[in-house]
Amino acid sequence: MSTVRLASITKHYGATVAVHEFDLDVADGEFVTLLGPSGCGKTTTLRMVAGLVEPTGGRVWFDDQDVTFLPPRARNIGFVFQTPALFPHLSVADNVGFGLSVKGSKKPAIATRVEEMLAMVGLTGYGGRLPAQLSGGQQQRVALARVLATDPRVLLFDEPLSALDKNLRDTLKFSIRELQRRTAKTAIYVTHDQSEAFAISDRIVVMNAGRVEQIGSQTDIYLRPRTGFVAEFIGANNALPGTVSAVEPAAAPATAPATAGEPATADELREHRFTIESGGLTLRCRSRLPVAIGDQVVAYLRPEDLEVVDEGDGAQYRNVVEGDIERVIFEGPTAQLRVRVDGRELRVDVGGDRRLIVGEGRGRVRLGFNDLTVIPADSAAGEPVVEEA
Amino acid sequence: MVSSRQLTNIVSHAYIWICLVVFVLPFLALLSYSITGSSTAAGSTYALKNFQNALGTFSDNLVWSLKISGLTLVVNTLVSLPAGYAIVRHQFPGKRILFSVLTLPLYVPAAVIGISLVLTYNFTYHLTNSMWGLVFAMALGTFPLMLIPIVVALKDLPIVFEEAAECLGATRWQTYRRIVLPLIGPGLSAGLLLTFIIVFNEYLVTLFVHPPGLTTAPLQVFNLIRTAGLAPTTAALAVTMQIVSFTAVVLFLRFFGNRHLKGTYLL
Repeated sequence: MSTVRLASITKHYGATVAVHEFDLDVADGEFVTLLGPSGCGKTTTLRMVAGLVEPTGGRVWFDDQDVTFLPPRARNIGFVFQTPALFPHLSVADNVGFGLSVKGSKKPAIATRVEEMLAMVGLTGYGGRLPAQLSGGQQQRVALARVLATDPRVLLFDEPLSALDKNLRDTLKFSIRELQRRTAKTAIYVTHDQSEAFAISDRIVVMNAGRVEQIGSQTDIYLRPRTGFVAEFIGANNALPGTVSAVEPAAAPATAPATAGEPATADELREHRFTIESGGLTLRCRSRLPVAIGDQVVAYLRPEDLEVVDEGDGAQYRNVVEGDIERVIFEGPTAQLRVRVDGRELRVDVGGDRRLIVGEGRGRVRLGFNDLTVIPADSAAGEPVVEEA
Repeated sequence: MVSSRQLTNIVSHAYIWICLVVFVLPFLALLSYSITGSSTAAGSTYALKNFQNALGTFSDNLVWSLKISGLTLVVNTLVSLPAGYAIVRHQFPGKRILFSVLTLPLYVPAAVIGISLVLTYNFTYHLTNSMWGLVFAMALGTFPLMLIPIVVALKDLPIVFEEAAECLGATRWQTYRRIVLPLIGPGLSAGLLLTFIIVFNEYLVTLFVHPPGLTTAPLQVFNLIRTAGLAPTTAALAVTMQIVSFTAVVLFLRFFGNRHLKGTYLL
């Protein structure tokens, strides 16, 4: 219904910086998720979009209207809170109709709209009940119906599923996405749950300490993290700090030989080849960024990118290391190995049949892997965490 | 043989009954006295006569008491609701001190309040001959009884309801009237009830500031006892006051207690 633009939006609480010069453009009908640990400023950012918190700097635009200092009631937004926040003394129908009622709509029109909205969230016939008579999931559906009833320009979600149990979260997150698609509303969604963010977003904004770390698609932030924080916060990662010891001459991207099991898209971006020394390990890397000899870097290695290699095998891997299995954790679809390599513990996720036999041998194991994600060491450290309102 | 558990049971029941008797006995005595005949009259239907007397001769006093109580409730509500909202929802310097000062009348003896008001009315507001002088005196002494339950109720009310209403397009007034007020109903009603009971039965402050000719029921009871001794008609007036207070409690619990508590997060 509306585009949203945040221009250098900033919030200070006294000396504490909650959000620092946050820039974001949300396209019409797009679903953008703000993802970050608690206290990273994502909720404060969302509340500034809603008008519940006044920014200390920057501007908020809905289309070409500057709404920075408009109160929430003048913005025509739909805000879904962490708790359903249904008015406990009003029936479900009166809750859903509240927004229309305060804007002076006629009763029959409200009743029609309420029916329509309750049908949309699958709660036809619940209008006469009180919120306390509904389950947590039903209450959050009513909260959705309540914000959709006023036909808002922008939908804002502040961890709406965090108070629900896991199964309910899984179904309701797709309901939210489905409703947003069907109504073609622009949506901004705040969560600290990666799987939630990955499941429903068009784009994800990873935030830390009041700043944007990276904005991108799911594959962008998982496969091509730009900062150490993103690499470590999203999914599991083994961090191997080291120093660049040798750089090969740059090869043309098109002629780079594709190695087995490597995604072609990642390959195109990794034309710089070099070697890093990390403790006693020598790692052969490729990266999208140029590096120079002596650079301090951190190489990240996903547990699922490490393969257990049999004796005498492993020629197809650019790197092969040996280590001792310290622990095996069977997790169902995969088994998690903790392997001590050169004095450091690496996490290795093993799937398929190998996950069943890997625990028996224990002892020594050979691990093969190809590319590592290399990030300059100075951008690997995050800012100190600030409080979230 | 009586087991120790049975013994505990018997003792606790006996304790409850003894307490009940001790507390209720004075009222029963008053009630029985109010329906006995006086020594100067002869006949058999004195019981009703005493109450007819109470509602006839003393009806002015009862009406004054009700009027003063009602007006005090209005003044208290108008003062305490905005004050309570400001104290809970807004940050300002000296908030705690202000709240302490506002609740001061609770700890000040009624006689002190009375003297202060006589002084104030005489030298500044010239309210000594006005019913409003008495109303404001009552409000001054009792508004903390409304303010405190309202503050407690608002503190217990998550701010998210107000934020949700505001995001749905409600103005401040709409949010206040349609969301906040019903949800703090239990706290508000508790304050109303306490104020009513205390103002309706207040004697000492009334004695200081009541204008000539305006005699409330409690004042009348005391005047009668002082001048005519304890007569059954006086007892009847006292019992009538008792009944009004009791009815107020029952009505408030019935209307506010149930309607506003049911289905809210409080229950």
